[in-house]
Amino acid sequence: MEPGLSIESGSAIRVAVLPVGGPIPSPCLRDYAALVARHACVDLASLRPYYKEHQKSPFAHQPWDAGCLRLKFVLGGCVPSPWEDFQSSRKVLAVVGICHLPSSPDLDRVAADFVDAARSYPSALASRCFAFCPTDAQLVEKKRDDIIIFPPSDQQSLEVHMLTMIQDLAASLLMEFEKWVLRAESTGTILKTPLDSQSSLGSEEVDRMGQSDPVLEDEVKYRYYTIIQLYRRATLQDNAQRSFLSLNRVSPVSFELEAALKLARYLCRRELAKEVSDLLMGAADGAKALIDASDRLILLILYIEIARLFGTLGYKRKAAFFSRQVAQLYLQQDNAYAAMSAMQVLTMTTNAYHVQSRKNNKLDHDSHKELRASNTDSGKVHPQSIVSLFESQWSTLQMVILREILMSSIRASDPLSSWSAAARLLRSFYPLITPAGQSGLASSLGNSADRLPAGTRCADPCLPFIRLHSFPLHPSQRDVVKRNPHKKDWWTGAGPSGPFIYTPFSKAAASGTSKQEVTWIVGEPVQVMVELANPCSFDLVVESIYLSVHSGNFDAFPVSVSLPPNTSKSVLLSGVPTQVGQISIPGCIVHCFGVITEHLFKEVDCLLLGASQGLVLSDPFRCCGSSKFKSVSFPSISVVPPLPLLVANVVGGEGSILLYEGEIRDVLITLTNAGTVPVEEANIALSGKNQDSVISIAHSTWKSALPIKPGGEVTFAVTLRAWHLSLADSEADGSRSPVNSRRTAREGINPFLDIHYAGPAANAENGDVSLPPGRRLAVPLNICVVQGLRLVRARLLSMEIPAQFTEAHLSPVSRKDYISTGTDTAHGDDNLLTIDPCKGSWGLRLLELELFNPTDVVFDVDVAVHLDGTNVDQKLIDEGTAVDAACQKTRIDRDYSARVLIPLENFKLPVLDASFFIKESGSTEPLGSKAAAIAERNAKAELNASINSLISKIKVKWHSGRNSSGELNIKNAIQAALQASIMDILLPDPLTFSFKLAKNGSAINVVSSKDSGNPDDDSGHFTDENVILSTKNAQRCEDLISAHEMTHMVVQIRNNTKEIIRMNLSISCKDVAGENCFDENSATVLWAGVLSDVHLEVPPLQEVAHPFSVYFLVPGDYSLQASSLIIDATDVLRARAKAESSDEPILCRGSPFHIRVVGKV
Amino acid sequence: MIVCVAVVGHQNNPLYLQSFTEADDALKLHHIVHCSLDVIDERVNNPKRSAPTLNETFLGLLYPTENYKVYGYLTNTKVKFIMVTTDIDVKDADARNFFRKFHAAYVDAVSNPFHVPGKKIASRSFGSRVSTIVKSFGAGTTV
Repeated sequence: MEPGLSIESGSAIRVAVLPVGGPIPSPCLRDYAALVARHACVDLASLRPYYKEHQKSPFAHQPWDAGCLRLKFVLGGCVPSPWEDFQSSRKVLAVVGICHLPSSPDLDRVAADFVDAARSYPSALASRCFAFCPTDAQLVEKKRDDIIIFPPSDQQSLEVHMLTMIQDLAASLLMEFEKWVLRAESTGTILKTPLDSQSSLGSEEVDRMGQSDPVLEDEVKYRYYTIIQLYRRATLQDNAQRSFLSLNRVSPVSFELEAALKLARYLCRRELAKEVSDLLMGAADGAKALIDASDRLILLILYIEIARLFGTLGYKRKAAFFSRQVAQLYLQQDNAYAAMSAMQVLTMTTNAYHVQSRKNNKLDHDSHKELRASNTDSGKVHPQSIVSLFESQWSTLQMVILREILMSSIRASDPLSSWSAAARLLRSFYPLITPAGQSGLASSLGNSADRLPAGTRCADPCLPFIRLHSFPLHPSQRDVVKRNPHKKDWWTGAGPSGPFIYTPFSKAAASGTSKQEVTWIVGEPVQVMVELANPCSFDLVVESIYLSVHSGNFDAFPVSVSLPPNTSKSVLLSGVPTQVGQISIPGCIVHCFGVITEHLFKEVDCLLLGASQGLVLSDPFRCCGSSKFKSVSFPSISVVPPLPLLVANVVGGEGSILLYEGEIRDVLITLTNAGTVPVEEANIALSGKNQDSVISIAHSTWKSALPIKPGGEVTFAVTLRAWHLSLADSEADGSRSPVNSRRTAREGINPFLDIHYAGPAANAENGDVSLPPGRRLAVPLNICVVQGLRLVRARLLSMEIPAQFTEAHLSPVSRKDYISTGTDTAHGDDNLLTIDPCKGSWGLRLLELELFNPTDVVFDVDVAVHLDGTNVDQKLIDEGTAVDAACQKTRIDRDYSARVLIPLENFKLPVLDASFFIKESGSTEPLGSKAAAIAERNAKAELNASINSLISKIKVKWHSGRNSSGELNIKNAIQAALQASIMDILLPDPLTFSFKLAKNGSAINVVSSKDSGNPDDDSGHFTDENVILSTKNAQRCEDLISAHEMTHMVVQIRNNTKEIIRMNLSISCKDVAGENCFDENSATVLWAGVLSDVHLEVPPLQEVAHPFSVYFLVPGDYSLQASSLIIDATDVLRARAKAESSDEPILCRGSPFHIRVVGKV
Repeated sequence: MIVCVAVVGHQNNPLYLQSFTEADDALKLHHIVHCSLDVIDERVNNPKRSAPTLNETFLGLLYPTENYKVYGYLTNTKVKFIMVTTDIDVKDADARNFFRKFHAAYVDAVSNPFHVPGKKIASRSFGSRVSTIVKSFGAGTTV
């Protein structure tokens, strides 16, 4: 029995094909044999040129037009069948030698070899020796008759050549047959067995036999069953007589099986499937009788034939089952070739069991890919893959097949196949394999890889399982902005247009492009996060893994990963796009267990989908403790040409910029172009919170640096002012130590520099100007504001300093000086609190700021007051510091508090004067009354405005360390402190009194005091301040006023309003005890002139003098004070005096004036 | 005697496969059940044209193999029931009856709201019910 049995096989002429000469490499041998074997059927018509018909040819009536001669080529020859005399189809009638010339240089040897080989086939009527691939030396050799050398040429001409040779062979066979028939004698008729009648069906008859001719079919079946019956009867006889045909070892079953196979092949059609199946199953059952070891070959052939016939019938599972039987028979033989055959047979069954190697369904795979591409929604899994998931549940059978493939391939020493089988087994069925089995597979993978050359690729992935985790966008990718070519501000087009936050149109457009789009830039690295899982019980070392990109415009960077048993790991895979275009990433290339494989994401997605529905064995990620399956849709990735890439660097450190509250600092920002394209345009704007903390940006600096060439950089300054901590922040800071609190910069409160920039417009090939996308760089200004100096309290203090005599008062010259320069001096003297000695500082107002330094650095505080646009540093009195040291900065140590005094009196007049000095052309006369009138008439808002203007002129600046400086924000505190008595601070009094000495009645000495519109208040605080008089001044005064001398004095009254003031003036003098010296009963002072109820009228902005003389009887200290009762006071005056009723008398009182009277020596 | 019963889903995925023999022949029975799908596929793809068989669920003897006979049953939802028996002479009526009970048990099992369609049936009550049916089949033939 032999493979390929059919009804026609009886009519075929058997030709032995024998390799001769030197060893032939098996692929070559396969090629040569295939070249010969393709001519199994030679048309009779084509034989005509080679066939010389005999005169009395018995073949004249053969169907020369349509008939054909069947040849059956048996590679390697066959043992002569004992039946060949009875069934001449078993006889080898021709011998063909095949020689591979490169391995057989000696042609004589080849010829001798061939003759030897052909000798074992005595029945051969014709012989040919074909030699292939001649060397140059052999070509030039003399042509030989016994060896036909095929000249080296392409496959097609080789085939033509071979056809000619076979036709020649067939023709010579035919002529031999002719001779034989002519010579045949009637006595020599060959004995025919009953089975030989089968082969009497000529080829032409079979050809004519329509497949659907029921009559013929019945005839065939009838003959078959008759023959079987006859045969069985004969067998019984034979068994009885033990003499049948005198042949011993012919199993009677084989003929029956042969016949059954012939019939099955003949009937093999779908409509007759049941009948054929029954025949084949019957034959398979009948083979049970073939238990003898020598029958193994018959069994093998039987199973092969059954498998083939089932395959033809479309019963792929049964075909696979019998193929596996074949493989098992092969595996019973202990040699590598049998194992190879077993492996190949098993490989054919893998499709039926759905464990096929991906190598074999590469074509399917490609078509799937096209389907997938045409399928718009990528989330849907192709139905085909779902089906394969279902089929994969025949795990018992699948594992057996894979294990057998693994075993046979190891025995056949095919490391790649065994690697592939082990990989498939491990990947698909790891949950069903014991840990020991898993390790065994891992080691067989390793062993196979050891025998493979390095860098071998296998189509079947093994471990680990890889799924796409996410697409982390590099900051630079995220900031690619499409340019709107119609706008100068091209970056603005990206946002939603129109007044509505929600528009149905934009929504529709967004959902239409639901697929995420990612832009990658040539030359800039990108990253993809994948998740690897090793669900097996051994340590998995992934030697390298990188993204697989088929479009060839991506350089992937490999990384190596080690996965402990039952773990999963997320890995960032990176790479660089190299060319403009689209990129699709179907999976990863993995170098693991010594072999390179490609792992496709969609396969794992299918698997996970199946696992989520409970259709497959296990979810490799979940059993590794990874999170639940979420489908990550792969974005469409397009690569654009290189863009400029700005990198911002805040000079002085990456961390946050630590600022004390109110601190003002310049921060330098360096922009570096890290790209390969110059930055041609840019725009810097602010975004985020606390934008007002950025005072200024040095736009001109960076603008002048454009274009920024690749590698170029520009540094520009941004001026920052720290914002003020809210109350909650302050409290939080207070409760914690400052060191900790300063680090707690909160997220989301920082301003950003939004830098939009773009490279040059590219000229496309068609002449259009295409705008490559621009970019956005957001530079966060990480400002960390910490508590600086803290204002504990602000309050208003009053202080009264009486006026005193000085030497200057004596001299008219000095007085003149004083008049002309007094105010200037007051203004110009920068740092000292200047008190006009004529007027004193009755009712001096001081703003006291109590500051506390909770930080761990030292602060220096400066108070500055802006006047008339010039920065005049006024006065600073620190607590515990003498007046003359006031110009120095106040240093506040850590954890100390300090008080800063700001005198308000001294810039009161100038402040108010400021607006009037201009109008009055340098007049020194203050026009306060006018101002007061205006201020009082105006609404409260105006008052507030003036308060604000006053407050805004007071600036408390601080310095700390080398480069920290800022300003305290104390406006609210000052305002609260000043609110109550703002009028007293801002407005001058309506009348100003001053005393002067008049020597000899002409020269005037001065003692001045100021009147206050609010005598009740004024007398309050510092009534006893008279003692402040310094001894030095007192010494000087000794010479001036002596007791027992007439002292001529004058009181000057100045009207500070714009209206005439009429009044009753009174002058009082008190001694140190406070007794009134102008009393009738007093014996200490005598006087001349009117001292009380002096009726005076003072014109607006004018002075009136009232002379009088005093005569001190007792030396000592006296104080003079002038006061006026205003007659018919105007509303302004009443308001200024805060009169409560209209008939209340308005009294103006000057500040006390100290006189030291010395006795005569 | 029934040696094996199986339920195969509409995608030819095994849903339930249970053998009732002592011998270690699970692989062989798997193969027999798997191979029987060829016949069922063929019947499904080439339905007989005659009207009475259109709604017929019982497929009859699928094929004989070695000592076994394989019977099949196909529901409207293309779920297949397969029975492998060693009995030489099985009456069609008995086989039909068996499959009807088997089908009912299957319907009850998949009506469980916790059952995932397409997943293997792991219900123990289904298993015990099936073995009862299998035993009663053997009893029926002997009686």
